[in-house]
Amino acid sequence: MLLNRPLFALTLVCAALAWSSGAQAQASAAESSATPQQVRAWLTRIHQAANTRNFQGTFVVSGGGAVASARIAHFCEGVNQFERIESLDGQARHVLRHNDVVQTVWPGKRVALIEQRDMVASFPALFQAGDDKITEFYDVFKQDADRVAGHEAHVLWVKPRDVHRYGYRLWADKASGLLLRADVLGESSEVLETSAFSDVVIGVKPQPELVLHAMKKLEGYRVVRPVLTATSLEAEGWSLREGVPGFRQVSCVKRPLDGGAAVKEPANSPVLQTIYSDGLTHVSVFIEPFNPSRHTRELHAFVGATQTLMRRHGEWWVTVVGDVPPGTLRLFAGALERKK
Amino acid sequence: MSTGSEMQTTSAEELSALVDGELQADAVSAACGRWRNDAESRATWHAYQLIGDVLRSEDLASDAARDAAFLSALRGRLASEPVVLAPQPVAVSAPARSLAAGRRSWSWAAPTAVAAGFVAVAGVLVVTRSPVPPAAPALASAGAAVDVSRPQVVFAPQPAVVNAPIMAEPSRVATGQLIRDAGLDRYLAAHKHFAGSAALGVPSAFLRSATVDAAGR
Repeated sequence: MLLNRPLFALTLVCAALAWSSGAQAQASAAESSATPQQVRAWLTRIHQAANTRNFQGTFVVSGGGAVASARIAHFCEGVNQFERIESLDGQARHVLRHNDVVQTVWPGKRVALIEQRDMVASFPALFQAGDDKITEFYDVFKQDADRVAGHEAHVLWVKPRDVHRYGYRLWADKASGLLLRADVLGESSEVLETSAFSDVVIGVKPQPELVLHAMKKLEGYRVVRPVLTATSLEAEGWSLREGVPGFRQVSCVKRPLDGGAAVKEPANSPVLQTIYSDGLTHVSVFIEPFNPSRHTRELHAFVGATQTLMRRHGEWWVTVVGDVPPGTLRLFAGALERKK
Repeated sequence: MSTGSEMQTTSAEELSALVDGELQADAVSAACGRWRNDAESRATWHAYQLIGDVLRSEDLASDAARDAAFLSALRGRLASEPVVLAPQPVAVSAPARSLAAGRRSWSWAAPTAVAAGFVAVAGVLVVTRSPVPPAAPALASAGAAVDVSRPQVVFAPQPAVVNAPIMAEPSRVATGQLIRDAGLDRYLAAHKHFAGSAALGVPSAFLRSATVDAAGR
């Protein structure tokens, strides 16, 4: 909070500079990119708003011609977080979250998937230690204010410094800092995917019991709890010859691959999933034994901003997924090396 | 007329209902069949239509010969219309054929049309197959641009775009909006389970993945 006022003045100067140079799209990095301290302050504010505010609204994600929307309720009580996400498109489904326990329920199929996700801890640790690489690989510009879902918003343009990642445009509520809209931008700043609140009420009365009650209603449901085993790439006989700049390994697990929709299928052999993050986006590398009946074709596909690359690697099948340009996925796939 | 007066009444009622668009679907073909085979039914039908016309406007009152002339002219025009997507023999003999024969020719033509449509749709999808051809970088950037107005098809090895491979494995094709491949879907779901750890905080990435997951299901 102490930081806020001088910070705001600085950002105004930045915005003015960007404006006077007359080119928000080609503003040169040197003159108007925010300092690492500013960027950290902005992102921390967005992050804290997400964790400390109570809000309720409709969230819409669109990209590549598809639109999906969900009704969201998010409550905080002390350090506890509660969330209810009810999808409004396709098959009926809702997601309930209490801190790191995530329960996905398909009422039609009478199936519930309960997962432990270590999502809350990983980011602040990575970030507040001060060794974040975000400003090393992205320039951040403040742009003209805008209005989203009825709220005045600051606009940040996060521009990648190299070709290994996409850019972002972020709209954060002026009053609370809550992220109201995020666009993923391609190489020529075209929008690949937009996720945004179409309406949102910030500062609602927290009703965590709504989420907790719903989480207990599981009679008649088949409950699936996938088991994730922590491991390391090296222990599994693999290594990444050379990493992709900016991406660091943040997780490596062996897991069954039955994401939820396919839970009625017999359990497949576990898949090795290694996750690399650059602080803003992440890439998953999946490795599993090659199976000619299932792995019929190497392929590259994308949906919205999410790219997928599938490739055979000797007796193994490699799948790389991430919201990054296809070239980055190819670098990951190409750098994998079997050590045995 | 061996049918008797009761039958006559029924058929007249059915024709009347047909004129009003109130006849049940299963009775429509029977009524039409009678209309086709029985000159008296046709006369009744015409009388009913004429009654309806005159009720709407007296200007529509005209003798039967005028309507007959109009009908035969219409048939002549229809017969000389080019038939799209139908093979030559069927097009030539179509007017002479019975209704059933016409239906048979359509049952053949429909899958062809569907197949053609499918190939056209497949042409709009963006799919690149590994191993990637020499023009990899350009191809990648083309793949990244989601632009529906510019269909981009990159089939690496064979230019044989049609039929067998695509028809056989549509499940491998990823479109801009959904993945018709349960396998691919599972990788995406697993990838997105990690979504919360991005710098923008739990909700943004988590909401996004939770919202999007639903669409593909």
